[in-house]
Amino acid sequence: MGGLQKKKYERGSATNYITRNKARKKLQLSLADFRRLCILKGIYPHEPKHKKKVNKGSTAPRTFYLLKDIRFLLHEPIVRKFREYKVFVRKLRKAYGKAEWTGVERLRDNKPGYKLDHIIKERYPTFIDALRDIDDALSMCFLFSTFARTGKCHVQTITLCRRLTVEWMNYVVASRSLQKVFISIKGIYYQADVLGQLITWLVPYQFAHDHPTDVDYRVMATFTEMYTTLFGFINFRLYQTLNLVYPPKLDSKAESELKAEHEEDYAMDSESYLEKLSALSASLARVVATAEEEENQLDQFPADGNMEAREKEQKEQEDQNRLFEGLKFFLNREVPRESLAFILRCFGAEVSWDKSLCIGGTYDVTDETITHQIVDRPDIDKQYINRYYIQPQWVFDSVNAKMCLPVEDYFLGVTLPPHLSPFVEEKDGDYVPPEKLKLMALQRGEKHGKIQEEEEEEDEDEDDDDDEEEDNDEEDEDLTEEKNLKKMEDQRSQGKVRLEQEEKAEEKRLAIMMMKKKEKYLYDKIMFGKKRTTREGRTAHNNSWNGVNGMVSNVVSMWLMPFH
Amino acid sequence: MAAVKRLKRVAALQPGFISFKSSAESDDLNSGRRKRVNKNKKKNWNKHSDIQDVEEFLDDVRLQERATGGLISEKPDDSLFFVDIGEQKKRVQPEVQERKKGKKSKSRPLRIDLILQHDSLVPPPKDVLAHQQPNAKKLRRIAENAEKLAAMGVLPRRQKRLLNRRPATKTSKAKTAANNFPDRPYYDLWGAEARETADPYYLEQTGKRRVKRPEKLNAKPSILPAVEVIAPGGSYNPDFFSHQVLLLEAHEVEVKREKAELRIERQLAVKREDTATEETVFQEQVEGLVEEEEDEDEEEEEDVSIRGGLQQEKKTEKERKRERADKIKSQQKQAARAFTDKKQQLFQLRSIQATLKRREQRTRERVAQRKANQEAEKSMPRRLGRLKFQAQDLEIQLSDEIPGSLRTLKPEGSVLKDRFKSMQKRNMIEPRERAKFKRRHKVKYVEKRAFKEIT
Repeated sequence: MGGLQKKKYERGSATNYITRNKARKKLQLSLADFRRLCILKGIYPHEPKHKKKVNKGSTAPRTFYLLKDIRFLLHEPIVRKFREYKVFVRKLRKAYGKAEWTGVERLRDNKPGYKLDHIIKERYPTFIDALRDIDDALSMCFLFSTFARTGKCHVQTITLCRRLTVEWMNYVVASRSLQKVFISIKGIYYQADVLGQLITWLVPYQFAHDHPTDVDYRVMATFTEMYTTLFGFINFRLYQTLNLVYPPKLDSKAESELKAEHEEDYAMDSESYLEKLSALSASLARVVATAEEEENQLDQFPADGNMEAREKEQKEQEDQNRLFEGLKFFLNREVPRESLAFILRCFGAEVSWDKSLCIGGTYDVTDETITHQIVDRPDIDKQYINRYYIQPQWVFDSVNAKMCLPVEDYFLGVTLPPHLSPFVEEKDGDYVPPEKLKLMALQRGEKHGKIQEEEEEEDEDEDDDDDEEEDNDEEDEDLTEEKNLKKMEDQRSQGKVRLEQEEKAEEKRLAIMMMKKKEKYLYDKIMFGKKRTTREGRTAHNNSWNGVNGMVSNVVSMWLMPFH
Repeated sequence: MAAVKRLKRVAALQPGFISFKSSAESDDLNSGRRKRVNKNKKKNWNKHSDIQDVEEFLDDVRLQERATGGLISEKPDDSLFFVDIGEQKKRVQPEVQERKKGKKSKSRPLRIDLILQHDSLVPPPKDVLAHQQPNAKKLRRIAENAEKLAAMGVLPRRQKRLLNRRPATKTSKAKTAANNFPDRPYYDLWGAEARETADPYYLEQTGKRRVKRPEKLNAKPSILPAVEVIAPGGSYNPDFFSHQVLLLEAHEVEVKREKAELRIERQLAVKREDTATEETVFQEQVEGLVEEEEDEDEEEEEDVSIRGGLQQEKKTEKERKRERADKIKSQQKQAARAFTDKKQQLFQLRSIQATLKRREQRTRERVAQRKANQEAEKSMPRRLGRLKFQAQDLEIQLSDEIPGSLRTLKPEGSVLKDRFKSMQKRNMIEPRERAKFKRRHKVKYVEKRAFKEIT
């Protein structure tokens, strides 16, 4: 019996973790400060695999942090600032208590503060890393900018958030990177493609709502503090890539246009610039003024098979970006101005609104060259002949469909088609709402061959009838596995491509015939399942068209399976 | 003798005391007893001469000189007395009044000044110290030299140093050290590459170089995306089926909750038969009060159980031998059976294979299941802390709440709460609830005296 005896909980996972209170004592900070520090530095608690071991035998629920993370925190210079702040508060309170007002002033002048720049640089060493994390920052900043300016959270934070969000929107407008919009009951979801990254963010509605009481405001404020810093730096860099001046300035021509007579009615001088920017109705000034926009010339690479496809894609993209180019819109008073102005400007349209609504309206309702007026009322008194009066959903649906939809469905007083979510990717065999099918048909019809256009139009017309089940069946057959084949056959009138496809189909049939019995058995099973779903989807279609509510639960329960 | 004299003197001094001798004589006796002093010596002039009356007179004179400015006897009559004629009728002279006023202010001095005038004959003493200056000559000489130099333009050394000193630049303190003011400037954070200013070892040792961030901290705590888009049924104008799907999900959540409530109620349920009726209540109350015959049958049953274990104590030789033989036989039997089993296993190969395959399949299934569980766990929120994660309610609007247009839309749910819960779901913060207000001591209610009288 030589050797040292090993004691329990002295090595291994028990020593790698540390509880929250112990960590706090090690750093000599209060709990609020410790939490703030962890949020700022991006240090999160961990759940160990074997709680009993780490907790030294007990199963009490505790928060654990990795010991190495806490040791890393010890080197942080902000920790010193927190302690200084604590001392400052104590001195201030004493001075107040003794009614030494000069002392109070002096202390206030020397209030300790800290900067987060080095933390941002440490957490996101490259610009692309930061861009990946911007979703969260965007949503938080948009959320905070909608808060009311009571004293509950610092008014400065709210103003800063507002400024940053306005800058971001101006950038998206200038770079034309908006891809998708979705109006939900929670808020408005946007998706933009910035420097190759798909960024999704949520903007709450402007009208006031109650603030829930069970949300920790201090935690949210700390997150916002970090995110505003990050966001500002990202904005700066993005403006640099577009060759725009940062902090953003309105283009000098545009600014002179915007000069209204009664500017003082809208905002104070200090805030009027921000308000003008937020109006999003004018373009931004560039660092190096260019007389004309230079077109980006693609480098000529040696002949590549995918070149054509890529070029085609680019052209499509550019076409999409110019969706509303040349159109002039006027927003009526009851529509959400900021959201619509943002979307319309992103795709190249000219927007204006009533002068009494907000600063920045360039033309009035009486302007004759207006092509579309966006109204949300059941009817409107005075109607001009050469413009369309449409409901705001037309804009959103057009953006999602990447083309200008027919205006007739969105006239005043017409029941709108449902607003579909662009964030849903339907797989083969899943239920596709009939509206989406119509949309796809529209898209196909406008893009390819004239011969097929008539057929497609006929299909559309027949869709409007409630009782045409056969056409529904035709469209539903497209959804089966042979959908691609038929699609190809229908669309391409060119013989070469059709021949290719026919060859492929032949090969496929041969392969199916040559399969072994077992494999064929499996294959049959899969096909059976798919066919069942499409059949159910078809019956669902029928029910939706016939409006039979009683069948809903049956049908839904039947095809809930593929959702799980 | 002295004591007797004293007594007599004291007695004589009492009022109403009639002595034998007359009072005059008693005085003479006393005065006769006085000691004789030699007034011819200068020493005794001061001690024993009485100049009180002269002193009084001189004091009086000095007082008069000090207070009233000279002897009163030498003052003229007008300054001391005035003739009281009576009230004089005031003559109205309007045009002269203004001039009178002016005259009053200029010519005639104020009465207060007159009262406070310095009117004693005794002049104030001269302050000798004011004229005394140490080294007056030297100081005068220095001042004259300094004047001459200043006239020539040469500054004394002190002034030269003051002028040479650098002006104190009032550094505006870094008030902008704060982080969040609205016009905060930003710069290119990722642009300029920091150069090494000095030897890296030196920087490390002196604590000037920042510690590198460990790689593990860059990993995201959860694979869920930051912003999760709501299901298509949550659109403000949803299409029928997606909305139904969302309603079904919410419905299932509600059903689960109801089931949980029902379960609790079921556990607490009591059978109707067990409820107390009047008879059972009466029975309970009466128990033990009424005496009954106790059974004596219980005692007999105890004896039987003790006897059973005591019979077999010793094993005989025979028994032991038999046991050994039995053991050997059973072992042999087992060995033989094992041998035949092994031989027969050859023919059982197929079924053995079948069982093996089944077992393998089971393990494979279990492995797959475990992996699927682990993957699912990655997207679930982890348990960090005392409270469990409570998912928020689905944001959903019922069929009759769906608005027809954007104008009539009422937003559902709070984005703030959604963001908070999303952060908890992604393991960035631990779930927290609002701190309850706990009282240290119980609240006591005391009636005021006035109320006590009423009630």
